[in-house]
Amino acid sequence: MFNSPHFRRAATCIAIAAFAMAWNVGVSRASDAAPAITPEQEKLFEEKIRPLLVANCQECHGSKKQESGLRLDSRDALIEGGDSGQKGVVPGDPDHSLLIKAVNHVGDYQMPPKRKLTTDEITMLTEWVKVGLPWPATHAPTNEKKLSPLELANSHRQSHWAYQPVRRPDAPSIHHPKFSIRNSIDSFTAAKLLDRNLTSSPEADRRTLIRRLSFDLVGLPPTPNEVDAFQTDTSPDAYERLVDRLLASPHFGERWARHWLDVARYGDTKGYAFQQDRRYPYAYTYRDYVIRSFNEDRPYDQFILEQLAADRLPETADDSTRLAAMGFLTVGRRFNDRNNDIDDQIDAVSRGLLGITVACARCHDHKYDAVPTEDYYSLYGIFASCAEPQDLPLIASESALKEMQQSEEYRKYETQLTKLKEEAEKFKTDKHIEFLDQSRRQSADYLAKIAAGDGEALATKLSFMALDPKDLRPRLVERWKQYITQHAKPNDPIWGLWHELSRLKTAEFSDKAPVVISSFAARLPGTATGQCNPLVLAAFTGETVAGPMDVARIYGGLLTDVIDRWKSLGGNTDTLTKLADDTRQLVEILVGDDALTHVDRNDTRQYFNRADRNKYQELQKKADSFVANSAFAPPRAMVVADNPKPTEPRVLIRGNPARPGNVVPRQFLLVVAGNERQPFNNGSGRLELAKSIASPDNPLTRRVIVNRLWMHHFGEPLVMSPSDFGIRCEPPSHPELLDSLANDLLESDWSLKAIHRQLVCSATYRQASLDRPDCRTADPENRLLWRMNRRRLEFEAARDTLLAVSGQLDQSMFGRAVEITKSPFPRRRAVYGFIDRQDLPNLYRVFDLASPDSSSPRRPRTTVPQQALFLMNSPFVIEQAKTLAAKPAVANSTDDATKIAALYREVFNRSPDNEELFIGRDYLTAATPSDATKLSALEQYAQLLLLANEVMYVD
Amino acid sequence: MSIEPNASCSLTRRELLRRSGMGFAMLGLTGVMADSGRLVAGDAASGDTDAGYKNPLASRLPHFAAKAKRVIHLFMNGGPSHIDTFDPKPSLEKYAGKPLPMPNLATERKTGAAFPSPFKFQKYGESGIEVSELFAHTAQHIDDIAVIRSMHAEVPNHEPSLLLMNCGESRLVRPSMGSWVTYGLGTENLNLPGFIAMVPNGYPIQETQNWQSAFLPGVYQGTYVNTQHAEIDKLVENVKNSWLPADAQRRQLDALAAINKHHKDQHGYDPALDARIHSFELAYGMQREAAEAFDVSREPKHILDSYGEGTQARQILIARRLIERGVRFVQVWHGQGQPWDNHDDIEVNHKKLAGQCDRAIGALISDLKRLGLFEETLIIWGGEFGRTPTVELPQAGANAGKINGRDHNHWGFTTWLAGGGVKGGQTYGSTDEFGFKAVENPVHVHDLHATVLKLLGFDHERLTYRYAGRDFRLTDVHGKVINELIA
Repeated sequence: MFNSPHFRRAATCIAIAAFAMAWNVGVSRASDAAPAITPEQEKLFEEKIRPLLVANCQECHGSKKQESGLRLDSRDALIEGGDSGQKGVVPGDPDHSLLIKAVNHVGDYQMPPKRKLTTDEITMLTEWVKVGLPWPATHAPTNEKKLSPLELANSHRQSHWAYQPVRRPDAPSIHHPKFSIRNSIDSFTAAKLLDRNLTSSPEADRRTLIRRLSFDLVGLPPTPNEVDAFQTDTSPDAYERLVDRLLASPHFGERWARHWLDVARYGDTKGYAFQQDRRYPYAYTYRDYVIRSFNEDRPYDQFILEQLAADRLPETADDSTRLAAMGFLTVGRRFNDRNNDIDDQIDAVSRGLLGITVACARCHDHKYDAVPTEDYYSLYGIFASCAEPQDLPLIASESALKEMQQSEEYRKYETQLTKLKEEAEKFKTDKHIEFLDQSRRQSADYLAKIAAGDGEALATKLSFMALDPKDLRPRLVERWKQYITQHAKPNDPIWGLWHELSRLKTAEFSDKAPVVISSFAARLPGTATGQCNPLVLAAFTGETVAGPMDVARIYGGLLTDVIDRWKSLGGNTDTLTKLADDTRQLVEILVGDDALTHVDRNDTRQYFNRADRNKYQELQKKADSFVANSAFAPPRAMVVADNPKPTEPRVLIRGNPARPGNVVPRQFLLVVAGNERQPFNNGSGRLELAKSIASPDNPLTRRVIVNRLWMHHFGEPLVMSPSDFGIRCEPPSHPELLDSLANDLLESDWSLKAIHRQLVCSATYRQASLDRPDCRTADPENRLLWRMNRRRLEFEAARDTLLAVSGQLDQSMFGRAVEITKSPFPRRRAVYGFIDRQDLPNLYRVFDLASPDSSSPRRPRTTVPQQALFLMNSPFVIEQAKTLAAKPAVANSTDDATKIAALYREVFNRSPDNEELFIGRDYLTAATPSDATKLSALEQYAQLLLLANEVMYVD
Repeated sequence: MSIEPNASCSLTRRELLRRSGMGFAMLGLTGVMADSGRLVAGDAASGDTDAGYKNPLASRLPHFAAKAKRVIHLFMNGGPSHIDTFDPKPSLEKYAGKPLPMPNLATERKTGAAFPSPFKFQKYGESGIEVSELFAHTAQHIDDIAVIRSMHAEVPNHEPSLLLMNCGESRLVRPSMGSWVTYGLGTENLNLPGFIAMVPNGYPIQETQNWQSAFLPGVYQGTYVNTQHAEIDKLVENVKNSWLPADAQRRQLDALAAINKHHKDQHGYDPALDARIHSFELAYGMQREAAEAFDVSREPKHILDSYGEGTQARQILIARRLIERGVRFVQVWHGQGQPWDNHDDIEVNHKKLAGQCDRAIGALISDLKRLGLFEETLIIWGGEFGRTPTVELPQAGANAGKINGRDHNHWGFTTWLAGGGVKGGQTYGSTDEFGFKAVENPVHVHDLHATVLKLLGFDHERLTYRYAGRDFRLTDVHGKVINELIA
């Protein structure tokens, strides 16, 4: 009713008076403790106050939403207040109650935002606060005990499966004629299938198996000869030997590095970089590190330690490239904002390595998971305590470096780079000198600016008038302001006169200024307090002083004069001593390390104007681009290093840097480390963090990585959300199997290759992928693995396969990225393709490449016509088709049937059947060449075979 | 099984539910569809089980019935001056060359005295809304346009403001409005990309981030088209085969289909194989359809004449042709870089820029009305911010040193909406007396997004995508629908 527009004001006033009195019935005191509420108060509350709160406040500050962390639906919540940290209401004291200030539109908040409450409504609320905020007890929003974020996290920690220690489940004992049990994986999957009365599929044929293994382990098709050899190998361990050969192939690292680079949100550029060179010239050293690590089977715990803290590990002689591992922290997108860069690091580490979505806790406690916002800032503190050094460390071995330095090209590179860097530095030095000189001679301009005062209008006017405002540096204006504030005191020998003149009002200025000046003439000439510097007085002699601008002009002129005098005597620090006291006193305002206008050379950049800044960035960009373009820049590691003094992190309320909250220690996540966790105290704590993640006791790390390996081998993971093992994730399809594999990882000393071997040697993996309608009905998604999943090749494997089949693949490894989407098309593997995250080739997105902007758990898998267009029409594919058709085995065949057979052998590793032969012959004979056709029938046919489903799907 | 007509752009239902492998990643979308009483298009008809393939671009219904089905976003990148276009401020005359009686608000650079618009305003239509001579053609339709004069953004810099306007977030990587809309509605023509961003001559500032899909699947990303070119193969990547004439390619694809069918017969049920087979047919169709859609020479002369000459006219006409063919979201950028960013010579430059597009925008609206598409098509016009009512002061390296341009202004600016369920013939909100700051009914960019989604049939709080443990949405935790803008 109080919101009713028809409510008459007079009536309200009467009602309010009665209302205020009514509150006082039977009230003794006001305090934080809820006062006993009288029936009259309860009635008033329910009739007036609650409807007011519901109608105007609770939409945003109630059970559904808590804008700014504030709730206004219980007495306690009202008193507690929101994120501001201030009490919402002080019962009995409306003047100190934020709520009352806010509704009166006094102070920081003006609430409700849509309309100001009426005076009557405000009065009513005020009265209510004054009497102590009576609130009927029965209407508390909830009777359940509300757990604190920490209690909630602890409760999740104790109940959610993924946070429990990894168990050592025994493999079920399976004796069943329909199941082949090759290792424990098969026992676990068989048990699940048997529960549902399902059986596994028979083993796939040899050709299928070698193709499957080749794509899974090295990302390339087997050669026809390799297929022949495997098909005819009758030894009992033929399969295992094949697995070992592929695991030992250098291509293994290339294949699996790409999977990891998705998790590491790898990119070769920073993102949007305005005038800088956006490339990371050394990102490739991280990619190469990952390839090497997988090839060398670096233990996974070591892999983690190195990626987070290679710089803090005990030195080893053997591996100079290890520092490159820290690219994991630094190859992400840059946001031109430190907090967002850190957020990206926290996200990559927490989701990528631990499967916890910590970044959700940046602005508030995680809504669903066991991550209080304090934990986010504990990790934040670690990364905020690190920085990237200006010069990244070289990681080439000494001998390699020496060898490199021998070459003429390298020397040319170094000379040129030095020249470019010097140009940038020289610019800075020149600007520094120019700046010092200019700012010393420009005192009049700055003083005029100050004389004009802060009034924006006058300053604006000024800019139109006398000054050349382009050279006034805002930072220097600030320093002048500070200086004048400090020195313009009545007895200052220089600025005393300024001070007195500045106090004159405009109207009286012309009349009173001469009086003030003569009063200073009466002072003792000298440089001590209370005296008057005679040069100041002399400067005013004979001048018209009509207003503050004249004062500024005269002071400024004087300072310029003395600076000129000093310069004419040599203009260095020694010259100062040659000056008379009065002159020196003035010169020292502007000369010397403590002088007003002094700027350290290293800080020159801060005083650049826009043009200077552009020029300097252009020079820097020249040097950076030169490095990024040069094949001779020796490799460097994209490291971070601990700052000398670690950051003591504070919670940023709502993620807002302007609202720091409580200090939190740098430490590990509660959900893993438990209540006994200790603050990190070794530097930033990065190494301790790495150790906590790579610890055998960490329940998540091993589960997360074996799940990722499983996903890539089987097409579907055991835990469907590979980077989120939190409480909202679907439980694993095979929990015991997951734990068993996690255990195996530990027992094999964190050898990933051991897990790979185990996965691909299982009978579960070796199954055929053919459909079985009865099983499909029971388990349409094949979660129980009654067959192998058929999978489509990802973009990289598909492209590499086209090159491999046409015989064009360049197998050279490592080094700088190449632009594989641009003609002439580099023939190196796609893992070496340049990834510009700011301008990702459309082709990449079309083919579902992981977005390099954040850690990617899994790629989407779409089939869209743009993919087909690439295969049908792109010059790259046409090039492969032509080369394939020109292969001697094909081109030298005499008749169509042999040509077709040769192509089938190259492309599908098998012979064509009769129908396929028929289709091929028909095509080759009926194709009529015309002027418009630039491909021979054989080339067209070769292309269409490359487009076939059989090439792009792995059975 | 038979091939479904739109099974070609495919994900399994499971993938729809768990895209990015993030648990229930697609729940937002399924929520959308469940609420509308339909699952993915084609679902009921095909009787597919969970393993069936669904088309991520298949046309879908939104949360509730809505008039707007498609969007044309005319992006005046660089920041057009509201004061010189849709927000007349006669009070500036009084202070011309003098300081305003209020402090100049902080913008990117220093500004000085009041700078009245050099352009004439006049009232148009029954609504009598005043529009400057720069947009005289557009103004003919003012009774169908809702002019929001109280837009505001967060900072006076291009980069964050472009991202805010396009993606609802100034710094972090978030999907663009076009990709959200395509994710929510799919597209009506699978022979064309669902979301197309046209920019003549190269990228705007922030480049492809403006139409990124971020963590949404790549199929929802805007397809960039450089409308500087007129030849189809330069407009859409790989859309033309330069080696084979159409009939030869048809034969080739027929043979491919035969081989794939043979392969499929041996492999049994697998909708993924079917989907890929069908994608070649769609691609073949796309070659023809895209070539047609982008070829404005197929328009009759009087239509071409009505749009006028030049790149802007051509790309705005292309926008109509795309919309007509069922493309869901078309963004028309004025040009590479930031053409409307007139720190100097605003009179000359704004005149030139408006001259390039005004006529075509007017023609576009007429044309859509003629085709009966106006009511289904939401047109958004605006930039990332507006410009100051005060003159920009010269600053080395910042401008050419002339004192005849305006600085960026995020405090207040104009965006207008038309068509698609918009209540036209009104101004909504206002800036202060001088056009510096939105004061009455301020509309934040988030509010604009919430309103646009509402016009398309979405509750902006329910169009979500789960990623990295959170349900993301275009408006993040903000946005309120401005119902007054909706008819």
